[in-house]
Amino acid sequence: MFFNSLAFAIFLPIVFFLYWFVFNKTKSTQNALLIIASYYFYSCWDWRFLFLLVFSTFLDYYTGIQIEKGKTERSRKFWFWLSIIVNLGFLGVFKYYNFFAESFSELLNSVGIQASPILLSVILPVGISFYTFHGLSYVIDIYLKRIKAEYNFVDYSLFVSYFPLLVAGPIERATHLLPQVKVKREFNFEMAKEGIYQIIWGLVKKVVIADTCATYANAIFDNYTSMNSFSLILGAIYFAFQIYGDFSGYSDIALGVSKLFGLDLLRNFNYPYFSRDIAEFWRRWHISLSSWFRDYLYIPLGGSKGGIWMKIRNTFIIFVVSGFWHGANWTYVAWGFINAVYFLPLLLSNSNRNNMDAIVLKWNFSSAKVIMNILYTFLLTCVAWVFFRARTITDAVEYLKRMITNKSFSFQYLDNERYNYELLLMIGIFVLVEWNNRNKVEPLSGKKSLLKIALAITAIMAFGTFSDYKEFIYFQF
Amino acid sequence: MKRFLIYTGIIIVITILIAVGLDGIYTRIFMESKNRGKIETVINSKAKKYDVVILGSSRANNHFVSQLFEDKGLKTFNFGMSGGHLFEASLLLKLMIERKYEIKNVILEADLNLSNDQEAEGVSTKFLPYIHNSEVIKKHFYDEENFNELYYIPFYRYVKYDSEIGFREVYKTLIVEKTNALDNLGYYPLVKHKNGNMKNNIVNLNPLPHNKYYEEIKSLCKTNNINLITVMTPMCENVVGMNYFDKVKKTYPEIYNYENVVKEDKYFSSCGHMNDNGARIFTARILNDFFNK
Repeated sequence: MFFNSLAFAIFLPIVFFLYWFVFNKTKSTQNALLIIASYYFYSCWDWRFLFLLVFSTFLDYYTGIQIEKGKTERSRKFWFWLSIIVNLGFLGVFKYYNFFAESFSELLNSVGIQASPILLSVILPVGISFYTFHGLSYVIDIYLKRIKAEYNFVDYSLFVSYFPLLVAGPIERATHLLPQVKVKREFNFEMAKEGIYQIIWGLVKKVVIADTCATYANAIFDNYTSMNSFSLILGAIYFAFQIYGDFSGYSDIALGVSKLFGLDLLRNFNYPYFSRDIAEFWRRWHISLSSWFRDYLYIPLGGSKGGIWMKIRNTFIIFVVSGFWHGANWTYVAWGFINAVYFLPLLLSNSNRNNMDAIVLKWNFSSAKVIMNILYTFLLTCVAWVFFRARTITDAVEYLKRMITNKSFSFQYLDNERYNYELLLMIGIFVLVEWNNRNKVEPLSGKKSLLKIALAITAIMAFGTFSDYKEFIYFQF
Repeated sequence: MKRFLIYTGIIIVITILIAVGLDGIYTRIFMESKNRGKIETVINSKAKKYDVVILGSSRANNHFVSQLFEDKGLKTFNFGMSGGHLFEASLLLKLMIERKYEIKNVILEADLNLSNDQEAEGVSTKFLPYIHNSEVIKKHFYDEENFNELYYIPFYRYVKYDSEIGFREVYKTLIVEKTNALDNLGYYPLVKHKNGNMKNNIVNLNPLPHNKYYEEIKSLCKTNNINLITVMTPMCENVVGMNYFDKVKKTYPEIYNYENVVKEDKYFSSCGHMNDNGARIFTARILNDFFNK
């Protein structure tokens, strides 16, 4: 059941009605309903993976309590490592086993040792990377005595399996979401209205921008050997907007839906393509994952303290692991590595926190420099996205090589029976709308909101791509 | 909560109004369309006279050279539609009859398409803009699974089939951008492809014993005194399951089997489609057999 499906359009009002009109007596009834709805939502993909979700939930719930109750450090450590190993074990088996087995086999074959890997015939449970990270952050926080263990299983289950964030985040923190689920929610009109704005704007991003860009990006990437420089540049730009529209659109819908139930989720995107350097980009892109790796990997490794080699090592570890988190393919590792290369000079020159303020433009030279920096940062991200999108690293390198060496800048007719430049105007309008509203969560709120909503709905219906349906990209992660 | 329900209600009303408005605008634009495709041309036309009308799939569109008929003094148009099934061929004929076309002969390509009586979505959707303006189209789609949504939900058909009749097609219709669908009197010549696929496997295909839309075309022609010539057209030699054509002949003895008229790969663009040279040989044979008076 996808957020932009008819099934979800039926599911959501039913759960909303039951939540506020039938199960609204206590926080426990509210939470119970949301868990039932979440399990039903999850089972729509594959009911068998519900067992995995329930097991993972119970494991972290139980080990969390045992860590807190542990009288000796040894006992606390035992339960802590049990949770970490089992959680990462599931992730490893379902997501990474086949990749490692194949890579190892290829390595042996390359040195002349014949080996055929034993592969597992399993499909990746949707959302496993997200709910595993929910559970891990909870257990780590208890172990580090940042939070108390949750003794109410229903409340804890809701924290892990709340349907708006279950399959593609944002990756929540116990410190943020658990306190909210522990009190009865009262209906808040303003919050619900904000939710509606975010849902509608999320749909614009998904069906108007992402899915439309996808048809062009696919036509270019899938045939890159016959494309000229201009098409390849456009292909990278289209994919940049596809993945942004897809994932931030999903996040907007998730946050918006959650607001309808009185629960505020972590913001995941903050107009990342208006970043002035890569460090700022990573403070604005997939914020819940970046901050997760910062808090639970980078800082425990020593962060930016220590010597220069420590900084370099930690930077590469966090970016490469972050890339690998996305999927079992060397292209994601390369994408992470490239971002580390982008980030490192900023870190080493202590300029990674230069652009913390809001962007204000005036008619002067420094504003022109800001715009140039934004465009340069976007260019860097586009180059990295080529690795993220390509099937193999070789394809990505060939794509970029051809982009530079082909030197032909004519308009090409693509496989999807469209001209390669056709989408530029729509992307331009989208960028302008986001730019003018970059200080708000979404562009629809404020004055004349009903008119803006009407325009957004018109855009969804008239310009959206529906027949060539595409799943949310991050569901596969 | 009451405020929220009212607010949500307003958004739903706005959504419905936008859908109705867009539906009206899109339909109006399609009603003016004339040079984009064969379906629009027939729908937005008035009575015409034809000696020969050709119907069928791409195997009609690419195989019957209309100009060769014209050279014999026969006013002809090739209405074959790439990707189309008999569902669409039948509907197009009904629309011609509704518009009082005077047709002496219909040549129908009926071979592989006899194996199903489903609509071909990529083609049938082109009729949908007119569903509220033509009883014929409405009735033809009535038994389809999603008829109620397509007919009663405003703008649904344009959203569902946006790649065929969505904004992009509306825009191109509005700026009167011509396509090549009507060039060469509807015939679309193919060239010989170096890498054309010269293999095909139709072993799992079976002609339906009573193809609903083939029977419908037969009945339409009979009622309207149109001479119906139904033919099977050639495929390349390297086909697994070539006895399909014998099965067609057995089920429908009135269909002429011309599968063997052109054989060599040099006359094909791909296994199921002849190139221009092959099409000319084939058309000449048809003309000789049926119109050599």
